[in-house]
Amino acid sequence: MATQTESESSGGVLMRDRLVKRVGEAAAGGFVLAIGGLLAWILSTQVDYELLSSPLIARRFAEAFFLVVQIVVISSLLSVTLGVFVGLGRISTSRITGRIAKGYVEFFRGTPLLFQLFVIYFGVPRLWATGEFPFPDWALPAAIIGLTLNHGAYVGEAIRGGIDAVPDGQMEAARSLGMSRVMALREVVLPQAWRNALAAIGNDQIILVKDTSLLTVIAVPEIMSVFRNINSNQLDPWTPLVWVCVLYLVITMSMSQLVNGLERRSDWGSDSRMFGRLSGLGSGGDADGGEEA
Amino acid sequence: MTRPLVEFDGVDKSFGDTQVLYDVDLSVDEGEVVVVIGPSGSGKSTLLRCTNRLEEIQAGDIRLDGRSVIETDVNEIRQQIGMVFQSFNLFPHKTALENVALAPEKVKGRPEAEAREAAAELLDRVGLADQAESYPNALSGGQQQRVAIARALAMEPKVMLFDEVTSALDPELVGEVLDVIEGLAADGMTMVLVTHEMGFAREVGDRIVLMADGRVVERTETASFFEEPGTERGRQFLSRLL
Repeated sequence: MATQTESESSGGVLMRDRLVKRVGEAAAGGFVLAIGGLLAWILSTQVDYELLSSPLIARRFAEAFFLVVQIVVISSLLSVTLGVFVGLGRISTSRITGRIAKGYVEFFRGTPLLFQLFVIYFGVPRLWATGEFPFPDWALPAAIIGLTLNHGAYVGEAIRGGIDAVPDGQMEAARSLGMSRVMALREVVLPQAWRNALAAIGNDQIILVKDTSLLTVIAVPEIMSVFRNINSNQLDPWTPLVWVCVLYLVITMSMSQLVNGLERRSDWGSDSRMFGRLSGLGSGGDADGGEEA
Repeated sequence: MTRPLVEFDGVDKSFGDTQVLYDVDLSVDEGEVVVVIGPSGSGKSTLLRCTNRLEEIQAGDIRLDGRSVIETDVNEIRQQIGMVFQSFNLFPHKTALENVALAPEKVKGRPEAEAREAAAELLDRVGLADQAESYPNALSGGQQQRVAIARALAMEPKVMLFDEVTSALDPELVGEVLDVIEGLAADGMTMVLVTHEMGFAREVGDRIVLMADGRVVERTETASFFEEPGTERGRQFLSRLL
């Protein structure tokens, strides 16, 4: 009797599960149809394909694209480097260093990037007498400094979170072997913290890519600037928007590929790595030894 | 042969307002295996952690080979004290071999090839020569703990401290770790073990130290402790185990 009730009720639950799944599929399918239809309509009626493929706009977008790639590569490397030091500052045993790092993070996460860019681009040159500021082409350096300082704060917090997630036993074990705190951080804690923080850092670096679109307001000739220019000349937003969309996706998707690659590389001895080694070895002589115990 | 290697002299230890060690006196001779037993919270692990200064003591002194642990450079003294933890604490981003070779290479400045060769020998000694290239993730708990023992031995310590090293292991994996420790005892290594494995304590220990409420309440030759404890606390502790 009891078993019957149970099987009946679990049958009911199964039915509901299936229903929810079907509703989800219908919603997702409907969404794809709606967006796909809209996109097809725009691409067929709104986009001027002659303009889209004209060498003039292609060249201007290509120039902007390579500029953005350069800005992203430099700001990325600088902000991740800065972030490592900010993260280390946050866990410093010196209270002063810890507070300075915290204050830095609070300021750069707590104010808009656009504000920071204005401070650096418009504000800083005014600290010199008129005509004395030594950098005539200040837009690009200002952009890189702004992106680096802003994203250094986010990367710093990701690194600190990554360090916090390393069990205390790791530091204790390293120190018990006679390593200094700095050596233990470098050899034992940071490599693990880096792995823990990678996903969050990758996320932030993708946001950095998109943040370059703000640079249009400090006269950096990046992708959005080209769009604004073409739109105001041609009175045709959709054609250049196709370029904008594709170019940003090219950068952000390469960035995720890079992050995925880095994550796989630090997947020490877990299943995927084991399989990687197994297939790399062909028959996998020594790699399957770990399974036996 | 019987010269004191580790000496605890009136050691007091507090965490904030809570005192966990009271006036502990204990002497461990060279080559001796001392097993520290006692109920949870009696201060056994803290005593070990004070020895290599993972915890600082508030009063008294601890000497290793006649030198005050407190007054010697902490990184120098730790090189002479091998510590093995309940939770293994292997470095997950390093292979078994790298775990063992890391400290000799970085701390003692041994050339990499030499450190790795020595590490391979130590892994062989704990029966894991075939797992040298495995990452800790791919090893069983018992194997990980044996690597951890090899890692501690790699610094050629004067004394080895074992902090409940089998407590986190599945029962069928305890034996392989205890075998390694027994081997070390046979080789004359000075050891202090905190353990709940009474059978093993009886087998490998030269002396039993019973702690309760932060005090050493009994220290006796192993055989006589298990036959007839010298104190009421000892009798109570043993009777609760049986």
